[in-house]
Amino acid sequence: MRKSIYILVAVFMAATMVLTSCGPAATTVAPATSVPGQPTAVPPTAVPPTPVPAPADIAASLPRNETLYFNGQQWGSVVCWNPYSSSCNNAMAIAQQDNARVTMFETPYLYDMLDGKQYPLLADGPFAWDAGMTAITFKLKAAAHWSDGTPVTAADVAYTWATHAKYQDNVGVGNKPYILDVVAVDPQTVQVKAVLDATTGKAFNPLVVAAYLSTNYVIQKAWTQTLEARTGDLTKLQADPAMDVVYSGPYHYFFADDTKVVLIRDDSYWGKDASMFGKLPIPKYLAHVIYKDNASGSIALAQGEVDVSQQFNSNIQVLWLNYALPISTYLPDAPYGIGASLPTAFYNLASYGLDQVAVRKAIAMAVDYPTIIANAMTNQSATFDQVPRSLMNPTTGEQALYDHAAVASLQWAGNDIAGAKKLLDDAGIKDINGDGFREYNGKTLHFTATCPNGWSDWQAAIEEVASAGKKIGIDIVTSFPEWAVYQTVFINWPLPTTGYDIVMFSNDGAGPTEPWGRVNHIMNSQYAKTTNNWNGNWGGYVNPAADALINALPGETDPAKIKADYTELVKIYLTDVPSFTLMYRPQSFHTVNESVWTGFPHQDDGTNPPVPPLDLTDGWSIAGLYNLTLVKP
Amino acid sequence: MKHTFRQVFHSGKFVVGFSIFMGLLLIVFVYPVIIKYPPLEVIGQGTFFPPGIYVNTFDSINAPTTYTLILDNAAAKRISNKLSNDDRLAMKEWLVSDGIPDTQIDTSDIVSLLDLWEKNFDPTKSFPGMTYAKERYYQRVNASLQGILSTEAEIIAAQNPQTNALEQTGVVKQTDYVNISNVANVRVLLLGTDNFGRDVLGELVKATGVSLQIGLVAGIIATLIGLALGLLGGYIGGFVDDIIMFITNMFTVIPTFVLLILISFSIGQEKRGAVTIAIVIGFTSWVWTARAVRSQVVSLRNRDHVNLSKLSGHSIVHIIATDILPYIASYVVMAFILQISSGILSEAGLSILGLGPRTTDVPTLGLMMNWAMIYQAEILGKWWAYFPVLVTIALITFSMNLMNTGLDQVFNPALRD
Repeated sequence: MRKSIYILVAVFMAATMVLTSCGPAATTVAPATSVPGQPTAVPPTAVPPTPVPAPADIAASLPRNETLYFNGQQWGSVVCWNPYSSSCNNAMAIAQQDNARVTMFETPYLYDMLDGKQYPLLADGPFAWDAGMTAITFKLKAAAHWSDGTPVTAADVAYTWATHAKYQDNVGVGNKPYILDVVAVDPQTVQVKAVLDATTGKAFNPLVVAAYLSTNYVIQKAWTQTLEARTGDLTKLQADPAMDVVYSGPYHYFFADDTKVVLIRDDSYWGKDASMFGKLPIPKYLAHVIYKDNASGSIALAQGEVDVSQQFNSNIQVLWLNYALPISTYLPDAPYGIGASLPTAFYNLASYGLDQVAVRKAIAMAVDYPTIIANAMTNQSATFDQVPRSLMNPTTGEQALYDHAAVASLQWAGNDIAGAKKLLDDAGIKDINGDGFREYNGKTLHFTATCPNGWSDWQAAIEEVASAGKKIGIDIVTSFPEWAVYQTVFINWPLPTTGYDIVMFSNDGAGPTEPWGRVNHIMNSQYAKTTNNWNGNWGGYVNPAADALINALPGETDPAKIKADYTELVKIYLTDVPSFTLMYRPQSFHTVNESVWTGFPHQDDGTNPPVPPLDLTDGWSIAGLYNLTLVKP
Repeated sequence: MKHTFRQVFHSGKFVVGFSIFMGLLLIVFVYPVIIKYPPLEVIGQGTFFPPGIYVNTFDSINAPTTYTLILDNAAAKRISNKLSNDDRLAMKEWLVSDGIPDTQIDTSDIVSLLDLWEKNFDPTKSFPGMTYAKERYYQRVNASLQGILSTEAEIIAAQNPQTNALEQTGVVKQTDYVNISNVANVRVLLLGTDNFGRDVLGELVKATGVSLQIGLVAGIIATLIGLALGLLGGYIGGFVDDIIMFITNMFTVIPTFVLLILISFSIGQEKRGAVTIAIVIGFTSWVWTARAVRSQVVSLRNRDHVNLSKLSGHSIVHIIATDILPYIASYVVMAFILQISSGILSEAGLSILGLGPRTTDVPTLGLMMNWAMIYQAEILGKWWAYFPVLVTIALITFSMNLMNTGLDQVFNPALRD
């Protein structure tokens, strides 16, 4: 009897195990069992807008011919769909930045990094400053409407700013010194009033005011009021998942879990009006599978499972040269992309010996930049022979802003060991005690160069800095703290007395305030010696002459004077060497696989305005979504 | 003793394992003596240069003596090197799309094909359904065709420092050859270079040495701890045994590798040297040695000779050293070999996760794998950056396990022939 019970129990357990192990497979092969229209991860209180989010099985089998797949943008699962939050981890829908991501939410203007202009999106025609340079006025397009069908009005624009200002969020705090108010003159006309300079009576910083128009979303007033009614304070407002958010953009939430995010096209999108694009964007779905790391993303790209890749794929050219895959980048040859941001090594000017210009310049001169670019970046950066160092990124617009001949004698291309040694010898910084390392006033120069652990191309670059030090008799060792630690240290002055003498971080890329914003962040003393500083000047560089030029530049209108001022700033930068750029890096690693779609932006593709290589989601590059065609229709 | 060695070396498995291991050791010691390049020197500007012999172009052109060789198929080889059969078929495809009749195109006749191509190809032309990737492919093919049929010599020119004009300094004919011994700079890179531009072979030899050291240190530590605890627990028994077994069991239920990862992570990148990693591995992998030794000792504890020794009033240390240890010595040696091999594997596992020793101080087998993966060598088909490392790891552990099995056959009465 007892034996038969044991047998029964054993059989039962085995059966359960077999059934549970088959469970997930059974549900995936039988999609008919799931109820269509049932929202998956939606909190019960929030009512999603129409159409209803898709169940997992539909999202799992999107029609390939209607879906544009991405990688390198979304890491980890989406937290929320709230445009007021900066921690939604929602890379497909929310990114208020110089090149704002306008798939779901829209800005009045779109920035085009290729020609440096702002093109109207929600706005109707270009914006205009008034005669006294005190306010910007622009109109909204009559066709622009929200996903609930109501028109986008000036009141929405004004209320969005009012909300940022009222709750003191990042946008509010960051723009308060420059923007006084945003008001609705009439339902179609918006006026952005600038904070005025006390002496000139003109806008204190017209660049930042204008940049606001292409950086920050317009969010519906009615929805914002609903949100405020159910939240109350800033923390709750930003923590709201906002599943009911009203949007104006061409795509919206379709599916999101920890494996993928899918946006679906809104076929009533206002942009199909003749006053904007005249049609709907081509792909019906924008999908982003969440990959574990770069390597798995690269494999997916090579296999044609990804159409647009925004990640560092080392030696990308091998994929078309050796494997003949239909993969291409914006430029046919190295550096393959448009360099825009400048990963830079900052000297901690409080470290012993780094207050000496000769030491700073000697180290910078001795670094082997060609090896950094060829090995760490696998040639995906312009070299310093092609684009000599300055404060500008390699785009033609910025390069034209300074006088190249005037600073040529100050620029260095690297690997100049003899020159660096001579500079140190002339400054009296020599190895007197014979230990192989130089001393300054009797004390051996010893520095630590650092960047976050796991940022492989940066680590390789920092190793080159250390080896350059050894070649010229300066002891430089490397240290790679974890990012979690690093990010809490380098932003707070004073930097630790050990371990953070040469600190690497990235500078601003391309945007409507550039290159002024970048120069400001690198050299302006207002950021020096501050805490919680995510802007720049981490080494504590102070130069009143540079400050004066930087502060005057935004109000300058005479192109000749602007160029003269930038030239002077580049001269100061290359003379004082408070930091030095190690490589150029593209704004986005825009690599495309043309197995399914073609018509992606590439150099000389004939688009006007030129569509920038920013993954068809950021700034004016969204226009690229309208140019796609299927390879096999 | 002599007899034991003779027995051991009669085991075929042991001899094979031992030879492989000694071969590896020999390479580790001899290679750096013959090839004196520093193993971590960055020589390549660029990543993953393929294996082969690198001949300096500048020195070849300026070689003191050139020879003329008239070889029949030289021109054909030159053409096929630049223009593969696939390229010719693709050219045909383009021409057909452009409206040239299929019959007029003969891909085997390179002269007529090139003639048609030159007359018709337009790099800016695109056909429906043609991707940019394909368009760029045709542009590359077109560029590679420049001068492909030329029989003329190439002119070498140098800039005159006074006039800045180019002046002819030499001519390289298509029939010119140099003897490789006349070229000043030739570098043999049998396994190419890695992502840092370092010679993979030199690095691999050095890394093998370092990994063996890590394995040895880890193995010694693990075996010593395991042996000491096993002997004490097994022989003394009672409360001491309970305590020791309590600790051992606790370590058994915590997965060793997880423990290893946590310790390595908390040490921090700055302090993780090769020796530190070896010590950490040693301190986390002694558990099974301790348990195995203990059970052996428990079975020996009540043997007659041990009891005799006890009655004679010998101390515990003396009894363990003379009456117990010799009986389990062969087992401990085998366990030690396995500990070395698992230490090497653990280092590789840790380094692949990015938790190994610091990169630029020393190379280890795991670090080489780690960097090859970070720079996506396996996706890009750069096999020389990771495959030789895999083979080395496999050879080391295979040889050690083989030695172990050989020893087992000799010492284990149940397995003895």
